Amino acid sequence: MTVSTNMRNTEKELISIAKEARKLIIEVAHRSKSAHVGSSLSCVDLLVALYFDELTINEKDWLNRDIFVLSKAHAAMALYAVLTVKGIIDKETFLNYLQNDGTLPAHLDRFSAKGIEVSAGSLGHGFNMALGMAYGYKIKQDNRRVCALIGDGESEEGSIWEGALFASKLGIDNFTAILDYNNLQGYGKPNEICSYEPVIDKWKAFGWEPYRINGHNFVEINNAFKEPNNGKPKIIIAETVKGKGVSFMENELKWHYFIVTDELREKAMQDLSRNINAE
Amino acid sequence: MRNSIIKKITEYSRNDKSIFLITGDAGYGILDEYKKNFPDRFLNLGVAEQNMISFSAGLALTGYKVFIYNIIPFLLYRCYEQVRNDICYQKLPVTLIGIGSGVTYAPQGVTHYSIEDIALARTLPNLVVLSPADPVEAEKCAEFALECEAPVYIRIAKSGEPIIHKDKIEDISKPQVIRGGDAVAVLFHGSIGGEIMTVLDDVKNTAKIISIPMIQPIDFDYLLGILKGIHTLITVEEHFIEGGLGSIISDWIVRECLPFELKKLGIKNEFIHAIKDNNGMRSFYGISSESIKEAIKESLTSR
Repeated sequence: MTVSTNMRNTEKELISIAKEARKLIIEVAHRSKSAHVGSSLSCVDLLVALYFDELTINEKDWLNRDIFVLSKAHAAMALYAVLTVKGIIDKETFLNYLQNDGTLPAHLDRFSAKGIEVSAGSLGHGFNMALGMAYGYKIKQDNRRVCALIGDGESEEGSIWEGALFASKLGIDNFTAILDYNNLQGYGKPNEICSYEPVIDKWKAFGWEPYRINGHNFVEINNAFKEPNNGKPKIIIAETVKGKGVSFMENELKWHYFIVTDELREKAMQDLSRNINAE
Repeated sequence: MRNSIIKKITEYSRNDKSIFLITGDAGYGILDEYKKNFPDRFLNLGVAEQNMISFSAGLALTGYKVFIYNIIPFLLYRCYEQVRNDICYQKLPVTLIGIGSGVTYAPQGVTHYSIEDIALARTLPNLVVLSPADPVEAEKCAEFALECEAPVYIRIAKSGEPIIHKDKIEDISKPQVIRGGDAVAVLFHGSIGGEIMTVLDDVKNTAKIISIPMIQPIDFDYLLGILKGIHTLITVEEHFIEGGLGSIISDWIVRECLPFELKKLGIKNEFIHAIKDNNGMRSFYGISSESIKEAIKESLTSR
């Protein structure tokens, strides 16, 4: 493993932040009987890396913040949880996720809370909006960065490939896409449903600078961000595990849909605490 | 009409650096000058309509005021969900300039007609829907969009529409009385106004002619005010009969229990297989000047 020396937080700190975020996800998933728990857990480490290591997103300099767009917006719980740990969304608002008369919906509404950059939920929209934002900042010579997280199922959308085709031509090099490749979409595995692989070659052929990494390893994530993009838009293909961090959810398709019952909440929390102690 | 709109946008773009023009591979000969004058604020996003709309929404999120030019089916139908979620739901200052209203492009085939666009646009909250009748209204619609912070859809035919307005337009958001009349009112939107203007001499002062360039929202209080003494409303549009202005007026009459009789002229809700040019289609579907004249006369004699 290559060791990165320029991480803002240590790997240990990031792991601990991610555990906290995962616990928050289980907590609200349980309270709200929400689906998409597995989809949220797979991208937690990527979001923690973005918000606590890679991007510059501070309350103090909010107007000049880097932009993160959660394009696979059914994982909204993960974004809310990370924004809560970051202190951008307050805990009470977070705990009222999906509750009657609460403010946070299952899919993103940019008017609902601070830090929600775009409204999204239907797949293959956020990625393209993020490209438009990146292009807008680029031509304004505003040097902030734009990142978007897309799903593997989401990458079957034609709009993703439309955007891919234009982004490289337009030289949108202030943009990084992160593919949360948890290898389980709504009703199967991407490569069993379509000709998904070789996904890295596809992005390369579209003129992107692709990197393939383990999406749960903070050092690898950090290194991938530091890799040169050679004037192209970059994509980090992050291999992840659906349901990551909770043993009985890992790599289980049903956790795209299943809800966290009282009993499962206890089991999941024990799992996450045990993992913390193990590290 | 498209030239008056692009001219207005060009004029504003000289001072307002936030204006950005995007096309979906349309506008040959129309957008050349804009492209030459403002190369940094012009993009051809090609034949990729979904990306075109979402990308524009993204640009708007960074502070640009975006105008998108395309043929209506490839601006509103192909990418309806992008218009709905990314522009209207997010309430972004993006203006859709759609060309080829109604059966302007006949006989190109139904894929290129826009005979249900008003019906679709009406389902979109936050969206201001404009359908100018002539270049004078078109210019005002462009001005409105340039000053507006909300999403706007401007529906136009193409070019060469006759000028209907003799006087300056004070307020494009209101229904426009083109000519007075005291028994019947003809309410219309868009380039079909050209047909209506040719029947004026035949119907003398009996028919009040009202253009409704702003279809969403309609200033109903103002409309009611200019309909004093009128017993019958005839809506005329180059659009499906069900779902467009006729339906909006019909809903209004029912909602407010108004004592108007209503006749709706428009294209029958069906897929068009007939091969006819624009004029031929208007005759075929009963929205030509002859049909309009007949409808007015019938309304006068039936009372």
